[in-house]
Amino acid sequence: MGATILIADDLSFMRMIQKEILTERGYTIAGEAADGLEVVEKFKSLRPDLVLLDITMPNMNGLEAMRKIFTIDPHARVIMCSALGQQNLIVEAIKAGVKDFIVKPFKPERILSAIEKALRV
Amino acid sequence: MSGIEETRLRRAFLEESEELSQKLGESLMALEADRANALLVNEVFRLTHSLKSESALMGFGTLSELAHRMEDVLGCARDGSLSLGKPVMDSLFAGADLIAEMMAAIAKGGSDADFKTGDVLQGLSEARGNGHDRPPAPSHAAPAQGGQPNEALPGITATVEAAPITLGAFEKLQLAEARDRGEDLLRLTVSVDEGEPMKFPRAYLVFSNLEAVSNVVKVVPPMEGETAEDSVYGRTTILLTSGSEEEVRRAASRVDQIAEVKVERCRFEAFLSAAAVDAFIVPVPGLWTAGAFAGGGPETATTSAGQDEQARRSESPEARRTGPVEKTSIRVDTRKLDDLWSLIAELVLHKSHIARLSEDIGRGKDVHTVREELVESFDSLDKISSGMQQTMMDTRMIPISVIFSKFPRLVRDLSRKLGKPVDLLLSGEDTEIDRSIVEALSDPLTHIIRNSLDHGIEFPEERVRRGKNEKGRVSVTARRQGGTIVIELEDDGRGIDAESIRRKAVGMGVSGAESFTEAQLLDLVFLPGFSTKEVVTDVSGRGVGMDVVATRIRGDLKGDVVLRTEPNRGTRVTLLLPLTLTIVNALLVRGDVQLYALPLTDVDSTAKLVSAEIRGEEGHESALWMEEEIPVYSLGALFGSGRRRTDEYFAAVLRHGDRKAYLVVDELIEEREVVIKPVDDLLNSQKMFSGVSVLENGKLVFILDTSFIRREHF
Repeated sequence: MGATILIADDLSFMRMIQKEILTERGYTIAGEAADGLEVVEKFKSLRPDLVLLDITMPNMNGLEAMRKIFTIDPHARVIMCSALGQQNLIVEAIKAGVKDFIVKPFKPERILSAIEKALRV
Repeated sequence: MSGIEETRLRRAFLEESEELSQKLGESLMALEADRANALLVNEVFRLTHSLKSESALMGFGTLSELAHRMEDVLGCARDGSLSLGKPVMDSLFAGADLIAEMMAAIAKGGSDADFKTGDVLQGLSEARGNGHDRPPAPSHAAPAQGGQPNEALPGITATVEAAPITLGAFEKLQLAEARDRGEDLLRLTVSVDEGEPMKFPRAYLVFSNLEAVSNVVKVVPPMEGETAEDSVYGRTTILLTSGSEEEVRRAASRVDQIAEVKVERCRFEAFLSAAAVDAFIVPVPGLWTAGAFAGGGPETATTSAGQDEQARRSESPEARRTGPVEKTSIRVDTRKLDDLWSLIAELVLHKSHIARLSEDIGRGKDVHTVREELVESFDSLDKISSGMQQTMMDTRMIPISVIFSKFPRLVRDLSRKLGKPVDLLLSGEDTEIDRSIVEALSDPLTHIIRNSLDHGIEFPEERVRRGKNEKGRVSVTARRQGGTIVIELEDDGRGIDAESIRRKAVGMGVSGAESFTEAQLLDLVFLPGFSTKEVVTDVSGRGVGMDVVATRIRGDLKGDVVLRTEPNRGTRVTLLLPLTLTIVNALLVRGDVQLYALPLTDVDSTAKLVSAEIRGEEGHESALWMEEEIPVYSLGALFGSGRRRTDEYFAAVLRHGDRKAYLVVDELIEEREVVIKPVDDLLNSQKMFSGVSVLENGKLVFILDTSFIRREHF
């Protein structure tokens, strides 16, 4: 069984696409979250190998959620999804310890190669 | 290097250097007033040094040499071996002027080599004292600070594999310690994938990973503080020390979207050698890709091929003389861009939301629920779009200090030339104004100040005779007043005698001049043909080309200019300018079937007019407003078949400068924003419109240029 991945994005459409891409490659979807609070809760209970985290989400943005996740597990592997132009947010995320980031709109192979690299660590 | 890249480089160079050149002028002014100020000496030194280095990189040898000689003089002043007397200051001013002229020529596609620098260089070397004279620098470029021959400067050829790195004292200390610890010195060249849309964060991620496993000494271009534009981070050079090369390689390769990481071992000595010790780094944002660093190479020194290329390029006239480079880039406060980006992020979010709603309808979801969500989404989109519009407008605003900062120099030079001591007072320099307006304002303001000194301010003896302070005073103030920027230029000179303007006007046959008020008389100064030098100088000594000022302000900038004067007390010219030219808040009105927009800055209020209150015959009607008798116009009469007769009319009270008028309309519709587009000359033969706008429903709206209420007096 492939590594387990938690997907967090407030758009169900986006989650759907990511789910498809990942399951096709053999990953297991540990769970889905639609906002920052939910992803932190789910991370706590599911302990996935990796979190695919959207940077702009309601209730607690991706950056804050990531910081919370790191307090639960400092070695958590988080990949941030962002839109073009959120450069400052990404740099913040890097400073906070994000493993990699993906810029929307992305091609499936981008997600996959970023995840593979992050999981190798 | 491709032509495009060269143009980009020139543009970056011009932008940077024009600013340096301008600052040089300002700092010299400050230094002249405070010659013992070591900070100012250092500042001027730094500016000449930067100008020298940048121009040398671009192959502008004449400019570079001039800056270099100025730097020499300042170097002596800095170490105390030369005092900043008048001859020294004058020679520095002359040098700064020449540099400004060269920059202007280069911007227009010319060359610095067209300028004769002999006299100025002579002046500089005399100022410095003949005893210290050194042989002239090579003609095409000046040596770098650390005694490095200029050939060592990597040229503007971008074939350099990695940017050579020069280190400061602190960084060298780090290197020495690492060497003692037995670590390796590695230089990494990190190339980001071409397709990566955000290169800086990508490079930053590598840098951040490397920091975790090694001691990063230097990154070019820099990752912290003043960073360069994103595309420049396509290739980053990182110098670090580490105990494990393997670990460094792993950390760098963990990041996705990295095309290549080249790792080279370097000798510590290459960076710690005497030659590299004093190398002075001038960061040149925007020029990083060209390898803007001097000295301190890796094990293999700068290749000889690179040197040949540099030498060839420096001598080839094409290097210096390409087509004019238009200044198309702008500087924007990054916070404003960040605001814009977060709004765009929200916009993207709502776009997907709406897409999902349409899918929902397809899936047969309850239409009422979907509609509610749609309304909600629309509200958000509305907020986002007005936010974006506001932010976009903000990015167009720059402080007026951009122009004001030129005035001290202007006044200083004129005052010397004319022999009239003058104090200049500036205030409100931080007032922000649309950049397109700023550019167009420079000439008229300069013109008015010139006039003040030339014709307004009297000679010292005359001032004393008139019981005034020997020194004249000119003040320039800017402030924002609602949607208008007010700029006032005031002098305490001799003023203008309105009565002599009247005599002149009557003589010229201006109709009604006998009964003109003083304001109307003074306004004549702005008429073409009236304000020729002979005429107005005869009258009062003012008015070289005031018609040009008026055309620019009233015509091009849709503003107004008002002149007030009092004999022997002085003259005040007030400019009223719109904040921005592209979007205006306007009152939408209807005349017959046509819609018109009245810019709110020109609308005082709206009113109901009873026909009995209107006096006079058609075409020359007036009515009371407050306690003032003001003209009554009507849209119907101006553009259509005439005003239809009723007992009651709707009207807007227009104001332009200090004039007011009623404008009768058929309907007052609403206040709203309209985007101004240029209007076709055919439609605007009467110059009644400042533009047109198209509403969402496709209807055309004419934006009324309310200055006609002033014109109608003549």
